[in-house]
Amino acid sequence: MRSSRVALFTILAVAWAALAIFPVLWMAAMTVKPEALMFARPPAWSFTPTLEHLHYVVAEGFAWSLVRSLMVAGLSTLLIVVIGTPAAYAFARFPIRRRDDLLLFVLATRLAPPVALVIPFYLIYARVGLLDTYVGLILAYLTFNLSFYVWVLWSFCRDLPPELEEAARADGYSRTRVLLHVVLPLLRPGIIATSVLCFIFAWNEFLYAFMLGGKAVETLPVAVPKLITSQGVKWGELSVVGIAALVPILAAVFVLQRHIVRGLTMGAVKG
Amino acid sequence: MHPLTPSKDPAPLTLPSPQGGEGGGESGYGWFPYALIAPAMLMLVVVALVPFLYTVYLSLHEIRHAQVGDWAGLANYRTLLANPRFWHSAGISLLFIAIAVPLEFGLGLAGALILNQGVRLRSIIIPVLFVPTMMAPVVVAILWKIMLAGSWGLLSYNVIERFGILTGTSVLASPSLALYALVLVDVWQWTPFMMLAFFAGLQSLPLTPYRAAAVDGASDLQAFRRLTLPLMAPLMAVIGLLRLIDAFKVFDTIFLLTGGGPGTATESTSLFVYKTVFDFWDLGPASATAVVIWIMFFAFANGFYQIARRKLGAF
Repeated sequence: MRSSRVALFTILAVAWAALAIFPVLWMAAMTVKPEALMFARPPAWSFTPTLEHLHYVVAEGFAWSLVRSLMVAGLSTLLIVVIGTPAAYAFARFPIRRRDDLLLFVLATRLAPPVALVIPFYLIYARVGLLDTYVGLILAYLTFNLSFYVWVLWSFCRDLPPELEEAARADGYSRTRVLLHVVLPLLRPGIIATSVLCFIFAWNEFLYAFMLGGKAVETLPVAVPKLITSQGVKWGELSVVGIAALVPILAAVFVLQRHIVRGLTMGAVKG
Repeated sequence: MHPLTPSKDPAPLTLPSPQGGEGGGESGYGWFPYALIAPAMLMLVVVALVPFLYTVYLSLHEIRHAQVGDWAGLANYRTLLANPRFWHSAGISLLFIAIAVPLEFGLGLAGALILNQGVRLRSIIIPVLFVPTMMAPVVVAILWKIMLAGSWGLLSYNVIERFGILTGTSVLASPSLALYALVLVDVWQWTPFMMLAFFAGLQSLPLTPYRAAAVDGASDLQAFRRLTLPLMAPLMAVIGLLRLIDAFKVFDTIFLLTGGGPGTATESTSLFVYKTVFDFWDLGPASATAVVIWIMFFAFANGFYQIARRKLGAF
């Protein structure tokens, strides 16, 4: 009785997951589907795979967009880890004046709609010459990612037992040394999980890259419209780019699973 | 505790306050905590508070050709509120949220209850379910353009045409159906997340009350209504509110899938703001819209914070 019930629910859950992932698999098949079968009615389920779409995408220089995406996401995440980690720790450990107000400000920054922020960013950047620069994009990404990082890592910091730090203090460690040699090693899983999520958000980001970027910092998401040509939409090539953008996400999802819920609910649910 | 901090330390159980052993309130720490938060807080002021105040400033001035002109008082706000297109977009956003969020919530809860029945293969099912949620909006758009393409799209051919809903063209190009297609995409992308968040919540429920209920001979349904629902309520409120916020600000997927069209059929508030700025270059009213949206979001954020903190003890 019990085992047949488990089997039934397992089948249901597997079917549910299959339904969720199916469009992705269909797109993956499009990357190697011959152009001639692309618009077949009924849609073709079997075909001889071709690499023509991949070749086109490589020839068009999409690899550079990939590199630029890595640069922007990587550098902005690095900056965020460096300045965000001490802040998250301080919020969890020390009495800070108006702490609640500051934290609410952090949260509100995270939740603010980008479409409202991009207006002042655009106007200010146009004036100070930060349009289409790495610095400009990396700064803009701080709005949603630095606030996210501080907020979520703060929740990880509160889980650390303070006894170790107190013991280190009693042994004569300075506060800086406690932070560097006691807290950071303990916090490593939290830092990794949170920063990987930051990387993904930056990697996926479209609106800022689209409005504030240009040729020089054309990331992968904003390079996509190049495949919508006057001869029509290059669906196979679009699928190749889509899968390329998906690969780091897949890797991260399998590594992080438990922490994703915690991150996406802003620390409210401990995954 | 410093006298100015109204001693609402939110997590007294998980965080024994460290100054206990040091004998001095804030003076025991000096400038150290402030030095730690300074770089991050300064950066956030620069990238969030300054742009916000600048937008408020813009919204109160006359702006022509991106040049800030005279003080305009609330004129931009009046223009905005008199613009039927703004109200239309607010209606679209509300309709979108009103259909998508309850669907995601209900399906997510159902899915979480299924997962919670000791389902096998969870180490595969769970990461697979995360994929739609973590995907770039651009990839979501490519995916669904392919699935919903007129005539050759898999879903168009096998479902939409077969049931005679629409033929010859994509649902994304249909004024009456495009919004529902966007709802479908949103539900596809976010239901798995709701499911996994609820599941994480279910997994963290205490077992004792359920054992007691079983001893008392309560049925599964009774246990669900009397125990699971009340225990999960704060968590469901937090997750639901967060989803509501995200669903309201969704921009990229709509922008890439329909561009707000056909006509203005899917022009949500986010797209309305975008178009007033970057298509019509109408900065005054656009800034006013941004400010209005911002204030709304601040209220949302505050609601989230209060519920998560008071009811859930999360922060």
